[in-house]
Amino acid sequence: MSALSQLNIIQVNGLSKTVSTLEGDLPILSDISFNVKSGDSVAVVGTSGSGKSTLLSLLAGLDQSSEGEIFLDGEPLHSLDEEARAALRASKVGFVFQSFMLVQSLTALENVMLPAELAGEQNAKQQALELLEKVGLSHRVEHYPSQLSGGEQQRVAIARAFIGTPKILFADEPSANLDSKNGKMIESLLFDLNQSHGTTLILVTHDEALAQKCQHILQIEAGKLVKDTSEDVANVG
Amino acid sequence: MWAKLALKLFSREFRRGELTVICAAISLAVLTVLTLSMVTDRIGQSIAQKSSAFIAADRVLASSHALPDNYLSEADSYNLKTAKLTYFDTMLFANDEMQLSSVKAVSEHYPLKGELKIKSSLTGDVEIATKGPSVGNVWFSESVFYALNVKVGDTVELGAAQFTIEKVLVEEPDAPFNIFSSSRRVLLNEADIAKTQVIQPGSRVYYRQLYAGDEGDISDFYTWLKPQMQENQQWYGVKDRQSPIANSLNRAESFLLLAGLLGIILAAVAIAVSAKRYCERQYDPVAMMKTLGGSRTTIRKIYLLHLSMVCFFSVAVGLLIGFGLQEIATDYLAKSMNNTLPAAGVKPWLVAISTGVICAVMFSIKPLLDLFDIPPLRVLRRNLGDKLLVSKIHLAMSGVTVFLLMWLFSNNLKITAILFISTLVLIGLLFGLSRLIFGGGRKLGLRPSNSWSLAIASIQKRANANAVQLISFSLAIKLLLFLIVLKNDMISDWESQLPSDAPNAFLVNITETELPEVNTFLAQKDILVSEFYPTIRGRVNAVNGELVAREVSLEDNEKKDEEARSGIGRELNLTWLATPPAHNEIIDGQWFADGATAEASVEQSMLDRLDIKLGDTLTFLIGAQSFDAKVTSVRKVNWATLKPNFFIILSPDVLADFPATYISSVRIEAEQKQDFSELLRTYPTINAIDVDSFVKQISSTISQVSLAIGFVLAIVVLCGALVLISQVQASLGERMQEIVILRTLGAKGRLIKNATLYEFLLLGATAGFVAALISDLALFIVQREMFELAGKLHPHIWLIGPIAGGVFVAALGYLMIARTMRKNTQGLLRSLA
Repeated sequence: MSALSQLNIIQVNGLSKTVSTLEGDLPILSDISFNVKSGDSVAVVGTSGSGKSTLLSLLAGLDQSSEGEIFLDGEPLHSLDEEARAALRASKVGFVFQSFMLVQSLTALENVMLPAELAGEQNAKQQALELLEKVGLSHRVEHYPSQLSGGEQQRVAIARAFIGTPKILFADEPSANLDSKNGKMIESLLFDLNQSHGTTLILVTHDEALAQKCQHILQIEAGKLVKDTSEDVANVG
Repeated sequence: MWAKLALKLFSREFRRGELTVICAAISLAVLTVLTLSMVTDRIGQSIAQKSSAFIAADRVLASSHALPDNYLSEADSYNLKTAKLTYFDTMLFANDEMQLSSVKAVSEHYPLKGELKIKSSLTGDVEIATKGPSVGNVWFSESVFYALNVKVGDTVELGAAQFTIEKVLVEEPDAPFNIFSSSRRVLLNEADIAKTQVIQPGSRVYYRQLYAGDEGDISDFYTWLKPQMQENQQWYGVKDRQSPIANSLNRAESFLLLAGLLGIILAAVAIAVSAKRYCERQYDPVAMMKTLGGSRTTIRKIYLLHLSMVCFFSVAVGLLIGFGLQEIATDYLAKSMNNTLPAAGVKPWLVAISTGVICAVMFSIKPLLDLFDIPPLRVLRRNLGDKLLVSKIHLAMSGVTVFLLMWLFSNNLKITAILFISTLVLIGLLFGLSRLIFGGGRKLGLRPSNSWSLAIASIQKRANANAVQLISFSLAIKLLLFLIVLKNDMISDWESQLPSDAPNAFLVNITETELPEVNTFLAQKDILVSEFYPTIRGRVNAVNGELVAREVSLEDNEKKDEEARSGIGRELNLTWLATPPAHNEIIDGQWFADGATAEASVEQSMLDRLDIKLGDTLTFLIGAQSFDAKVTSVRKVNWATLKPNFFIILSPDVLADFPATYISSVRIEAEQKQDFSELLRTYPTINAIDVDSFVKQISSTISQVSLAIGFVLAIVVLCGALVLISQVQASLGERMQEIVILRTLGAKGRLIKNATLYEFLLLGATAGFVAALISDLALFIVQREMFELAGKLHPHIWLIGPIAGGVFVAALGYLMIARTMRKNTQGLLRSLA
């Protein structure tokens, strides 16, 4: 690995998230700190309601933290406004969601091209076609989401996540809505693309086996980071 | 780049049918306004032109004193056309015969509106004349020829001058529709008045000045004229006159206005519902685009472009279809009425475009603003943003917009306020009622395996959403029922005035001795004749011993109508009857009992005018004899009917010894015209008043207006259907989810289908019932207040409302979800995902 790829692409310091409820403030995440190196694959695991998805939303700039700092590729995400966070996502981040989140009125190809078009790029079609070929959907480019199976829709979502070659890919339970065969296919696609594009993969999952395929595991329980295997590695190192 | 994406999204959303209802609703609003404005504008202009013929002008200045000529010269400077008329009665002499006749002296440009119909001989064909007789000539109505035993070309003496009888006068556009006025009519050139020397100080003469031109010029002229006018001068147009045509016109205008307003409200509801639904369905794509880095500005641009395109496209389609429809409608109307319609102005276009743009922008902007606020986090938390679903600001904005649109369209703040506030009250009542209905059935012990149970459970579960649906359904059904029933009532009211066997001529001045012979003659010739009323001329001289001031009464009457002017203050036509006329309504007191002595029944307006009360004693003067009668009943008389009507009817005992003449109405068919002429030749003292052309003119106007009303109603029905469709569509997503769950749990297709059908059936029937009750109540008020019809309830719609509502809503809802029902569970799951 090059020296550059070993830089911390994500730095989280003292991150907390609290939401207001009728009963008072409810802490979702408390004082979380960790780093992720560029190109690594990290699994975020934990029981339901532990705060995994909240952590993902904060790391991706979809939500704002109550306290703490997040640096994404050196950019202070915690101090950026919504527009700047959107711009940062457009240039550096890709997403894969449990429920695919494809735009129903766009074809598979157009869904893949969508992030590039939103970023104002003119010539995304060729890259989109290549990505669809990589995920095995070159014969389905003109199909609409409703004409695709769940596995195919998730493959389109993965192709979309890699358009523009993002530095970081966030995946939220990407295989949870799929049967085991399709689930396995999606998982291997994610790791293949992660490897070939050198993209950092942050994967939220319940699946122990899937988590084990990642280089590092962050375990969250009751809003607290209870295990960070990258630190173990660092300590051992 | 964003524009390309926006266009792509727009075209796909459009093809997927996501924008169909909103576009259709905007187009329908534009189409309604354009068609309605253009059709009413064009028909209105045409009717106004036709109606103007009833007074031979656009406006008339009338007086019993000579009118200053400088009015006419001033009118020239306002680009108005003018004419002068002078009316007086005089004796005609010819061939040792003499006859009292009504003379109308006319100036060069008479008539300004309408046509004179004449014949060159008694047996000749009818011709159209554009001006009156030339100097030295007179035109006579047919009865004068018989009375004087003359023919065209003979000479006649009129006052101090001699004239040549040039033509037979068949029809004057402004002939007074007053069966007691003389049918012996003479038309004279105004320049000949002086040489007749018949107008002397004290002569009873009536003067008219006729004006015609653009409404704006007339209005400007009236502004100048008003301060100059004397108390004895009266300014009026055709709509100011108490006549069937004026009433029909006013009612038709009110109806079209009301229908248009209701159409706009319905279209607005459909736009608001469909715009909200469209925006809600865009929550996920917007959250996704934001997640993928789309900036708020880009998203705003994309959806504002969508709105602009929806607006442009829908307005264009609305204008195109609206123009086409009104062309077809006006072409059809023009052909059926054998008439050409004037072109519409630019105003309908401007009003229609403004309506479309205002509807599109105002009903979409709040849902759009909500859409822009959708947080990207919704991609992870699926319910985020749903709290925006109920927006008081959107409701308030929609309300203000509807109010402004109604005001813009009606140009009448009062009607707008009444309709708007009553609709708000209705919505409030319906909301409370629906909560009561949907909340009240919770304790019903129904089993989940039963379709009715599922339907009721489904209705209760979506209590709020169903309340909104119920209000929309009720509003649509209410407005439709309201208009349909009002239309039927209004048209049947008109038709009742003019049944197919309505009399088309009146026989006046039949003596007691002639009566049996005339009766026999009419029977032999199969001429349909109505009742013979005895009449005698007399005046009300005093009320409770207090003398009636004639001049005051006359002044007052001049401000009312033709009937009134010839009535009070001067001689009235009195009659005596044992039973009240069928077309009169006793509104106070009692009709004469058998053997009643010295009683009088007085017409309502006269009672008010002379300040008479039930129980007052009226002193009548007939010739030199006077007698008293006590007022024992008050009648409401519909002056619009073509039947003899009387201000005062006396009990039979009072006038039994006075010599009377008789009046009756007859129906003369085309093939009986010769027989009718024979009757007039045989009995030259009988006056005949032919009102056939008048009846035809009214019938033609009514058919024209009825067609226009039917056309407008069809558009409003479409708007109503669109509201129902948009509402059913708005709830489809949630219904699909339920269907999937039930199907997944193994519920049979029939159970789900029936449950859905019953749910819509219950909703529609409830909405229909509530709508029927409220629309009937509103009808009762509106008929009395706006249309001057007798307010009545329509119990049949209380049954029709729920049945029609249930069937229509159930059929529509069922059809709309039928496609969903045909999918298998896997397909449903996929489309939901």
